[in-house]
Amino acid sequence: MPSTFRTLEREEAFRNPSNKKFGTPELQEVVKPHLESFDSLTKFGNGDTGLLDLAVKDIGHKTVFDGVGEDGLGNKITYWIEGISIAKPAVNVRDTTSLHREIYPSECRERLVTYKGRLQATINWRFNDGPVNTELKELGQVPLMIKSNKCHLYGLYSKGLIERHEESEEMGGYFIVNGIEKIIRLLIVPRRNHVVAIIRNSFQNRGPTYSPYGCSIRCTRPDQTSLTNTVHYLTDGNAMIRFAWRKQEYMIPAIMILKALIDTSDKEIFDALCQGDTKNTFLTDRIELLLRSFKVYNLYTRESCLRYLGDKFRVVMDVAEDMTDVQVGEELLRKAVLVHLKEGRDKFNLLVFMIRKLYSLVSGECCEDNPDSPQHQEVLLGGHLYGMILKEKLFDWLTSIKTQIRTDIRLKSSKVDFMNNKYFTGVMSKVPSDVGGKLSYFLATGNLVSNTGLDLQQATGYTIVAEKLNFYRYISHFRCIHRGAFFAELKTTTVRKLLPEAWGFLCPVHTPDGSPCGLLNHLAHKCKVVNEPLDVSMMPRLLASLGVSQTVLHTINRPDYVCVQLDGKIVGWCSIKAALKVSQSLRFWKVTGQHNVPADLEIGYVPTSHGGQYPGLYLFSTPARMMRPVKYLANGNTDMIGSFEQVYMDIACLQDEVIPGISTHIEFTPTNVLSIVANMTPFSDFNQSPRNMYQCQMGKQTMGTPSTALNHRTDNKMYRLQSGQTPVVRPDLHNLYGFDGFPNGTNAIVAVISYTGYDMEDAMILNKSVHERGFGYGTVYKAEVVDLSDLRVTGEPIMHHFGLAGGVNKKVREKLDEDGLPFIGVQLKAGDPLCAYVDETTGQTIIKKYKGPEDGLVDEVRLIGDDASSTELQKVHIKLRITRSPIIGDKFSSRHGQKGVCSQKWPAVDMPFTESGMQPDVIINPHAFPSRMTIGMFVESLAGKAGALHGIAQDSTPFKFNEQNTAADYFGDQLLAAGYNYHGNEAMYSGITGEELKMDIYIGVVYYQRLRHMVSDKYQVRTTGPVHNLTMQPVKGRKRAGGIRFGEMERDSLLAHGVSFLLQDRLMNCSDYSQAHVCRLCGSLVSPISTKVASSVSSRRNVECRVCNTSKGIEVVAIPYVFRYLTTELMSMGIKLTLGVKP
Amino acid sequence: MNAGAYGTPQPRQPVQQMAYICAAHLITYPRLIIACGSENTIKPREPIRCQDCGHRIMYKKRTRRMVQFEAR
Repeated sequence: MPSTFRTLEREEAFRNPSNKKFGTPELQEVVKPHLESFDSLTKFGNGDTGLLDLAVKDIGHKTVFDGVGEDGLGNKITYWIEGISIAKPAVNVRDTTSLHREIYPSECRERLVTYKGRLQATINWRFNDGPVNTELKELGQVPLMIKSNKCHLYGLYSKGLIERHEESEEMGGYFIVNGIEKIIRLLIVPRRNHVVAIIRNSFQNRGPTYSPYGCSIRCTRPDQTSLTNTVHYLTDGNAMIRFAWRKQEYMIPAIMILKALIDTSDKEIFDALCQGDTKNTFLTDRIELLLRSFKVYNLYTRESCLRYLGDKFRVVMDVAEDMTDVQVGEELLRKAVLVHLKEGRDKFNLLVFMIRKLYSLVSGECCEDNPDSPQHQEVLLGGHLYGMILKEKLFDWLTSIKTQIRTDIRLKSSKVDFMNNKYFTGVMSKVPSDVGGKLSYFLATGNLVSNTGLDLQQATGYTIVAEKLNFYRYISHFRCIHRGAFFAELKTTTVRKLLPEAWGFLCPVHTPDGSPCGLLNHLAHKCKVVNEPLDVSMMPRLLASLGVSQTVLHTINRPDYVCVQLDGKIVGWCSIKAALKVSQSLRFWKVTGQHNVPADLEIGYVPTSHGGQYPGLYLFSTPARMMRPVKYLANGNTDMIGSFEQVYMDIACLQDEVIPGISTHIEFTPTNVLSIVANMTPFSDFNQSPRNMYQCQMGKQTMGTPSTALNHRTDNKMYRLQSGQTPVVRPDLHNLYGFDGFPNGTNAIVAVISYTGYDMEDAMILNKSVHERGFGYGTVYKAEVVDLSDLRVTGEPIMHHFGLAGGVNKKVREKLDEDGLPFIGVQLKAGDPLCAYVDETTGQTIIKKYKGPEDGLVDEVRLIGDDASSTELQKVHIKLRITRSPIIGDKFSSRHGQKGVCSQKWPAVDMPFTESGMQPDVIINPHAFPSRMTIGMFVESLAGKAGALHGIAQDSTPFKFNEQNTAADYFGDQLLAAGYNYHGNEAMYSGITGEELKMDIYIGVVYYQRLRHMVSDKYQVRTTGPVHNLTMQPVKGRKRAGGIRFGEMERDSLLAHGVSFLLQDRLMNCSDYSQAHVCRLCGSLVSPISTKVASSVSSRRNVECRVCNTSKGIEVVAIPYVFRYLTTELMSMGIKLTLGVKP
Repeated sequence: MNAGAYGTPQPRQPVQQMAYICAAHLITYPRLIIACGSENTIKPREPIRCQDCGHRIMYKKRTRRMVQFEAR
C-alpha cells in the first residue's frame, strides 16, 4: 500500500518551491473577500476605473466666493479632485543609496513600520469660468494590503515569496501597521438596495404619531458608500421618509419627495400606490389621506416642491452659494434619497413600492422581515470600508480648503486674490493634507473618526490583529464575520440565534462561547463573497421577453401583480405565476450560461403567502453578497446561490433527501456548511455538538507552527511547537488547505484507563519517557524592542547611543557585546543586562535589564535603521527564546473538546503495557466520556491505531459513515487485519505489579494538541512579599508578586468549619498584623504618643496618653493595620472611636 | 582620584568596529534573487545602512565566544 501522507511530495514542494503555482491554491481563496475588495479600489470590474475614481467623482466640485464687488457673491473659485493614484511602497525619493527602490512587506515587519504607498491627488481649480489649473498634491502615505495589486508581492508564487522572506503560501489580505499585521474585520450589514419591513418600538420615539412600523432600505452608491432611507408609518396613516445626513436625522413627508422626484399628478400617485386595488379600502383610505394631508403645504408642482426642499436644506447640504433653491432640492434628492438610483422615475417607483410594502405591513398582509437573518444581510468588506474612509477624508480635505479660504477672507481679505494661482496653491499647502496618516490611525486603532458616521453603527473595533499563534487561528481571522459592536450590548439574545437561513453561509459550529457567542461567526469554507460588478445590462430585455411589464405606466397593473426588482430598481411587474416562470428560466440560463446571465446573479423569488414575506421577484447583482456553490440537479452544474434566494429554494442535503419534482439542487457535500476550522475536527458527526464548538476554540489556542518564515517575523510573542506531526487521522480538507505545512500537535498513544489516581477531573498522565523524547516540546519567542528615539528631546541632536562606555563591570560584559547589544546565544536570567546605551549628557552607561521571570536565550538581534538610513542606530529588536518543555500543570487537549491538565509525569517503567509491549504516551480517565459523549474521539483512536498499523492516513471527514456502514466496522476490520482486537481494546499489564489487568483497555492513537495556557505563565505563589503601603496588606496581581484574595466567601467557609485559628492566621497574621498602643482609660488608639527617651542608657521610650496625660493605661494590642487607618479616617471626619480594652 | 584624570580628556577608547549581516534580499537581473547577506563593519554612530545594497536592517552575528549552559 502506498503512503497516503504525501511526505515526499511535500518535501519536494519545500525543497523546490514552484514559480508558477501555489502548493495549495485553495488557501489563496480563503482571503479573497479581503483581497478582492481592496483591489476593487483601483480596479473595479473590467475597466480601468476603481472605486476610488467613482468616489472622487461623487465628491464633486467645491466652490468658494470671495465677496469682492458691490453686487452679489463676487469672484468664484471652483476646485475638485480630478484623479487619484496610489503608488506601490517605495523608499524615499531622496534616497540615493538603496539598490532597490521597492519596499517589501518583510522589511516593514522587521523594521516595525507601516507598509504604505504614496497617495497622490490631481487637483483642478478654475477662477470664475476661466481655464482649468492642475496640480499634483501629495496626500501622505496610505497603508496597503499585502498581496493586493498595489503590493510588490502581487502575482508572485511560492518561490518568489520565499525569496522575499515570506511564507511559501503567503495569502495576504492584511495590512502591516507599525510592524503589526492588521485585518479589517468583516461586518454584517443590512442587504443593500433591498426594502425591509421593520417593526421596531424605538421608531415611536421619532416624534408624536410615529408608529413602530417602517420600511427601510440601505442604498449603496456605485463607490460602495451607503445611506439608509426609512419610510415611517404615522398612526394617522401618513408616511414620512427619514434619512441621516452628517449624523443628523431629517424627516420629510413621503408625498413631498414623490412630487419632487418627477412631474406627477395626484392621480398618478394614487394609481401607482393603489395599483388598481380599489377594493382595498385600507389602502385607498390611506392614500387619500396622504394626498389630502399634503395640501397644507400648498405645493402643487415639482418645482415648488424642489424649491421648498432646497430652501430648507441649503445650509445643511453646504452647497455653492450661487445655486438656486430648485438646484439645491435636486442635489438633496440626488445625495440623500434612494442614492443607488440615478433617475427620478426609478426613485419614484421604488418609493411607491416602499409605501405599498409599508401599508401592507401595517394591515398585516405581509410580515416584518427579520434583520437578523442572513437573508437580509450582506458583508461590509474591508476594502470597501477603506474606500469609504478614504473618500470621506478626501472630502474633508476639500472642505478644509474651503474653510481656510473663508478664514483668509474674513481675517485679511486684501491677501486673498483668486486671480493669482499662487494663492490657491498656498492655501493647499497651508491645509493639513495627511490623509494617509488618518488611514494608518484607523488601521492601528480600529477607531473610525468620521463626520458622517458612514452609515455604520459603531465607532470602534473595526480592525483586529492577525495573531499568528497557530495556523488555525490565523486563518480564522480572515473568515470571521462580526455582527457589530452595537449588538454585543443588546440584552436580548435574538441576534445571537443560529437561524436556518444561515445554512451554508455561516458555520453553525464555529462561534465562541461566552459573550461574543453568535455575534462572531465564521464563513462556511465554501462560502464566497461576491466582489465583481456583474454585467446585467441584458436583464431588462430578458425580463421583458419573459413577460414582465415595463415601468412606464402604473395604471396597467393589476392588484395581484408583483414587482420585479433588479438591485433595488423596479424593472417591471408581472403576475406571481409569471414571476415563478421568470425565476426558473433565469436560473436555467444562469446555470447553463445562456443569454449572458451572470453566474453570480441572485434570483430571489418570494411567493405569495398568507401574511408571510412580501412577495416579488428580487434580483441581485451587487458586490458584497455571500454566495455558495450547490449542484443544480437538472444538469449537474454548479449553481452559485445567495442567502436571499436560498430561503425559497429546495436544496437537498444528501442524495436520499431528493424529492423528485420538488428538489432543484443538492449540496456537493454536507461538510460545505462548516468553516475551515470546524472541518478539521475528525469525525465531528459522532460528537455532541458543544464539544465541536469547544474544539474550534481550542484548536485556535494550540501551540502550533505559527509560520515557516520564523526568522523574519517580529511578533511580540510567538508560540512554537517543536515536535509537530501530521495527524494520522485527518479530513481531506487538511491536505487541501495545506495544514501539513503548519503542524498543530502530536500523535499520541492514548489509553483510557483509571490507573494512577492522578487523572481525576480531566487530568491526564504523561509518560515520562515520551516527554523526554520531545512530546509537546514548545518554545516561546518574546520580542524586546528598545527604541532610544523615545528618549530624544525633539529638536535636539541624538544624545543616546547604543554601546558600552568604560567602567562597566565584568558581569555586564559577559552578556553584552561592545556595541551594547547582547551576544547571540547568551542566556539571560531575570535582572541580567539586556542592552546598554550611553547617555552623552552624563557620560553614563545605562543598562537596560531583562525583566522576564524566566530564563531566555538571545535568538536574534536586529539593528533597525530609519526610513532614509541616514541616522545612527536608535532601535533594536531582540528576540528571546524561552524554552517550554511540558511540565505538570500544562494544558493539553484532543481534537474533541477534551481538554485536560498534565498532572503527573509517570515513569515509563510504571506505565501499563500491552501484550506487544506498547506503553501509552498519555493516560486519560474513562470518566471523561459518559457525560460528554465525544464518540468521535473513540473513533479517532480506532482509526489512528489502524492507520498507524497500516501506515496510511485515515480520512476523518464527517458524514462518511452511516448505520449500515459504520465506522466501528470499517476501522475494526482494519485492526483485525493487522492482528489486533476488532474493538480497539487490548489486554494490559500493570507496570507496577506486572499482573494482567482484569479488564481490556481501550488504547489507540489520538492527535493531541498542546494548548498555550501553561502554568509558567499562570502560577502565583507568595509567602511574604510586597505590601500596600497604606493598608500594609499584601498587594494583588501576579506581576507584582502579590497574593490571591482570601475573600468573604472563603471567610464564611472557615467560620462555618469553626476553624477560627486558621481565620486568624489568614486574615491577621499573614496579612497586616501590627501592634499598637492603646489607652485603656480613654480607649483611644490615637492618643498614645511616645515621650522623651527615658534615660540615656537605654533607648526605651515611654508611651503616654495625650488625653489622660499618664502612661498608666497604655497597653500594647495586636490589631490589623488597616484598623488604624480606619481610625484616622474616622477621626478626620470628626468621629471618635473608642476601644474597650480588657486584660 | 588624582587631578590629572580630570581636565585632560580621557583617552578615547579605540573605536570598536562591529560586523553585522545585511538582511536584504537582492533582485538581480534577470529575476535572480539572492540574499545580500554581506558583512558590514559599522562604527559606532554610523548610520545603519548596508554598504552594498543600502538596506536598512542588519542582523547581529552569532558570537564566536563559547556559550555553555549547565546541562540539567
